[in-house]
Amino acid sequence: MATRPSRRIVERREAHKRYKEDVERRGKAFFPHAMFHDTVMSLVVVGVIVTLAVIWYYDADGTEAGVLGPHFTEEADPGTTDFIPRPDWYFFFLFYLLRIFKWPESVILGTVGIPTLLLILLIALPFLDLRRERRLLRRPVAIVTVIVVVVSMGVLTYKGATAEEALGSQLAEAVPVWAERQGFEGNEVAVQGGTLYAETGCAQCHVYLGVGSANLGAPELTAIGEGDRGVEYFRDYVANPADFGNPVMPAFGEEFGGSLDDEQLTAIATFLDASKGPEDE
Amino acid sequence: MATTTRKKSPRRQQLEAAALYPLDWLEERSGLVGAVKYFLFRKVPRDIGWYHTLGSATLTAFLVQAITGVILAFYYKPDPDSAYESIQHITNDLTLGWLVRGMHRWGASVFIILMFFHMARVFLFGAYKYPRELNWIVGVLLLALGMLEGFTGYLLPWDQTAYWATVVGININGTAPFLGPFIAQFLQGGNAIGENTLSTFYSLHMLVVPGAIIGLIILHLHLVIRLGVTSNPWTRNAAVDAAPAPAGKPANGREGLVRPGRRGGSNGD
Repeated sequence: MATRPSRRIVERREAHKRYKEDVERRGKAFFPHAMFHDTVMSLVVVGVIVTLAVIWYYDADGTEAGVLGPHFTEEADPGTTDFIPRPDWYFFFLFYLLRIFKWPESVILGTVGIPTLLLILLIALPFLDLRRERRLLRRPVAIVTVIVVVVSMGVLTYKGATAEEALGSQLAEAVPVWAERQGFEGNEVAVQGGTLYAETGCAQCHVYLGVGSANLGAPELTAIGEGDRGVEYFRDYVANPADFGNPVMPAFGEEFGGSLDDEQLTAIATFLDASKGPEDE
Repeated sequence: MATTTRKKSPRRQQLEAAALYPLDWLEERSGLVGAVKYFLFRKVPRDIGWYHTLGSATLTAFLVQAITGVILAFYYKPDPDSAYESIQHITNDLTLGWLVRGMHRWGASVFIILMFFHMARVFLFGAYKYPRELNWIVGVLLLALGMLEGFTGYLLPWDQTAYWATVVGININGTAPFLGPFIAQFLQGGNAIGENTLSTFYSLHMLVVPGAIIGLIILHLHLVIRLGVTSNPWTRNAAVDAAPAPAGKPANGREGLVRPGRRGGSNGD
């Protein structure tokens, strides 16, 4: 003989049965009553989409942005360095999450950990909340959850939308100042490497003398040359970080699919090696 | 109606039978007519209104994406040498090409916003509770796949925005423990971003993910029809729904949407 189902299961089965009977007896037919609302709403949705498309098209001109952005930006060029990566707006909250976790040990929380955890919590929700109560005022935990989620997603999206990142070309103007503070003005290759560093988009993830955005857990490079690891080490590292157990940083060496040739790599490596931390501190 | 209640002439009966013959033929062989009738004339709670339209609104946004997507696929070329040019061609030269592309581009945002709104509504109404747990899970999967559509579609114009956002996105996937490097390599279609990346993303964006989405939407709708639409949680019907089972007392027709049973007191556990 099968075991008796628990009281909770019996109760909710009966509640659903009552709901079914009640709807059958007193409900309204989907067509035309509910379908009317659905149709109006669907027309509104299509109308909004068309309106957005029209505003977008007529307010922008090719690569010139209107209120809703440009029709397209310049053609993709893996060689350029003067471009700031931006996801579509609905990924801003994830994008900004990456800035909160700065240290190499915890970056994985921002990239994979938290999104995966959120997905698991979402899937598990019906099994975490087994009460039958549906009235919102009697579900305080649900109210708090909604407020926390909406506020944090809103703040992260806003922060991601307004986050500023320096353009490589603007950054390059600061290189002579860097050279002076680090004391490598005389080293022409290092200065050249500094300019390359600024223009290759390194500052999108690394901080150097207070400039740049700490993204994806990239370390600050102001005093990276302190350990005297040598130009060759830095050259090989930048060429293909994966060889050094770093799967996050992209490979910059030409032979690994990057955009820098040997001479440029050596220049950047010299620059990094010469960065022993500012003398004025 | 008064005039038509009289017996129909044999001629009229014949005509009606002839007109309905295709439907009868279809019904006899598939049961589809009955299914559509059931779908249209099934009962839903009397009190539902605008809040319950977010699901169908999301479906509409998806259909807009599907239709405009198919049209774009006629003219789009998924190869790094010509992708950008074909996007310019669609936007600038083709008749109403800008409208189709604009609708696809902005429809994506609308689709994703509506998915979130729909999910928020289901959460606030407690509509994920027994017996609708599975449908909630299907919905979460649809949300994840919808976001994946957004990610894979973003690369296709092959402009700077597209390219560099995808570089970052692939690197983020690459940080996952154990699987990361494999996911990154799979998305790139090789060791670096290149022409295989574009065709990989194109294939995911217009075959794999939409296929999965369509399958899950069918399951989602099937479950909605099978389990019924939840009534508003603040209404009397919900109070009945949440009230403890009356011990040994069958529903006598006095409890329900119009006349509530006991309200307040113990609700659920």
